[in-house]
Amino acid sequence: MAAELLRESFEIQGRNYDKAGEVSGEIKVMLRDLGIEAASLRRLVIVAFEAEMNVVMYARRGTMTLILTDEDVNLEVRDEGPGIPDIELAFREGYSTASDEMREMGFGFGMGLSNMKKNSDELTVESEVGKGTQVFAKIKLNSNA
Amino acid sequence: MLELKHGFKIDADRCDGRMNCMRACPVHAIRVKNGKARLISELCIDCGSCLAVCPTGAISATTITFAELDRFKFKVAVASPALFSQFGMKDSPAQVGRALLDLGFDAVWEYAVDIELIDRAIMDCVKSWPGPFPLISNSCPVIVRLIQVAYPSMVDQLIPVEAPREIAGRELKRRYSQELGMKPEEIAAIYITPCQAKTISILQPAEGAKSYLDGAVGISQVYNDILTKMRKITSAGDTPKGLVSSGELLHWGSPEGEFPKLSREHYLPLTGLTDVIKVFDDIEKGKIRNIEFLECHACPGGCIGGNLTVENLYVARSKNLHLRADMPNPGPSFEKEVERRYAAEDFSLRSPVKPRRIEGEVVDLRERVNRKKRADELLKALPLLNCGLCGAPTCKNHAEDVAAGRTEIGDCVFLSLHRIDVLRTYYKK
Repeated sequence: MAAELLRESFEIQGRNYDKAGEVSGEIKVMLRDLGIEAASLRRLVIVAFEAEMNVVMYARRGTMTLILTDEDVNLEVRDEGPGIPDIELAFREGYSTASDEMREMGFGFGMGLSNMKKNSDELTVESEVGKGTQVFAKIKLNSNA
Repeated sequence: MLELKHGFKIDADRCDGRMNCMRACPVHAIRVKNGKARLISELCIDCGSCLAVCPTGAISATTITFAELDRFKFKVAVASPALFSQFGMKDSPAQVGRALLDLGFDAVWEYAVDIELIDRAIMDCVKSWPGPFPLISNSCPVIVRLIQVAYPSMVDQLIPVEAPREIAGRELKRRYSQELGMKPEEIAAIYITPCQAKTISILQPAEGAKSYLDGAVGISQVYNDILTKMRKITSAGDTPKGLVSSGELLHWGSPEGEFPKLSREHYLPLTGLTDVIKVFDDIEKGKIRNIEFLECHACPGGCIGGNLTVENLYVARSKNLHLRADMPNPGPSFEKEVERRYAAEDFSLRSPVKPRRIEGEVVDLRERVNRKKRADELLKALPLLNCGLCGAPTCKNHAEDVAAGRTEIGDCVFLSLHRIDVLRTYYKK
């Protein structure tokens, strides 16, 4: 079992496009300053940003928790949103329920979840319609980091 | 670990410890302890922000002097396009070139060809690049170092094409050694530079290869001499031919971007470190999706705003535009030379750029996390005023320095009042 080194939670405000990306930005700076190696950092930033955008686009609010162990970086995202009725469908590339408003802002191309899957070593999504969604992502650290 | 070199030095005797440099440094690489500024080498990206703000002139660029050039048999100047925007509206690039010869250079290189070659190599590279996008220009050494230090996950996006000044150095040594029957090492390739950062890219290229250039002379270093020589020339004869035979040369380093042929839909020219950092943050998150190529310059306004230029950026810019408007289309001999060399030479970067290791001492992840937690705890006791009196630019930096064992928490005047008396001994007039 990997030993937990660090755990920190961040609040994400739904519908606030102005602040969108700040949480993933903060997590990036923290991990970069900790000297996490470039390849894992790159993947983590993409996963964190996509997860944050999903909360911003669909939910009222959410939290992103970063858990760093000596073997991997984990992200736990919980939101109070509409939930995902068909998770399998949501993973399909190009599938999107984004509004025109979101698309005009350059989001909602239906690549979010598949992009997150591509960039993590483990990704699980649990959702209850009307309540919210939980995403758990694991990115392994390069052992020589 | 290889010792990092920088394009400037701090003269401790002249340093009054006034902290202007520490406050100006965008990467927080300077500390002022015991009334003297000190550089944290591994953090410094050679942007030169500290040079301009030092009130006592203690920080100077490590350019070379003319005396150092005497060891070479044949000296060739490769002039940054920024040089030509430094003089009066009526002073032509040919006159500036003539003045460089009078200064003691044996030849002035026709740099426009190299710039056109790299323009082409970059455009070809962008077209065939499989990703990740956007590709990022590497001709500004500060941008390369910023990515190595602060955006390690983006090093693969630095375009793997040599800078034109390097290509010029390589070709001029080849050509003159052949023509004059000299060894390449007897020929000096000297860059006339608008900033000290190019010096460091010659002393210690970020990708670890050896530079083809032998040194750099700052524009401000030769400005007065060029001006004097130019004013003395009465006849227009014997000016270097083909020095600026194409407007391409003058696009390079200008704030409007170096690639007028690239579509603005997929190409973004950026200048100024603050703006570059904003865009890099967005790229790292994957927020910028349709841009293929980013041209980045650390200096606001591009190379004509470099910290070793003399003329005010806006005046220089209008001179640059004026010169470009007057520029004839490149002649057939220019085109022919470009074609010949494009087919004959390889422009790819010799070895890839890698992230710079920031932790000087090798400590494991667990210890790094512990230091971060200690720093977070320590920060709670600090005033968050970023007054700098402890010698670090921000309270956060001070907490981190203490956590890493580099300094004492009590250097903060809020925690130890007697610190003021200590400081008074350094700053008393």
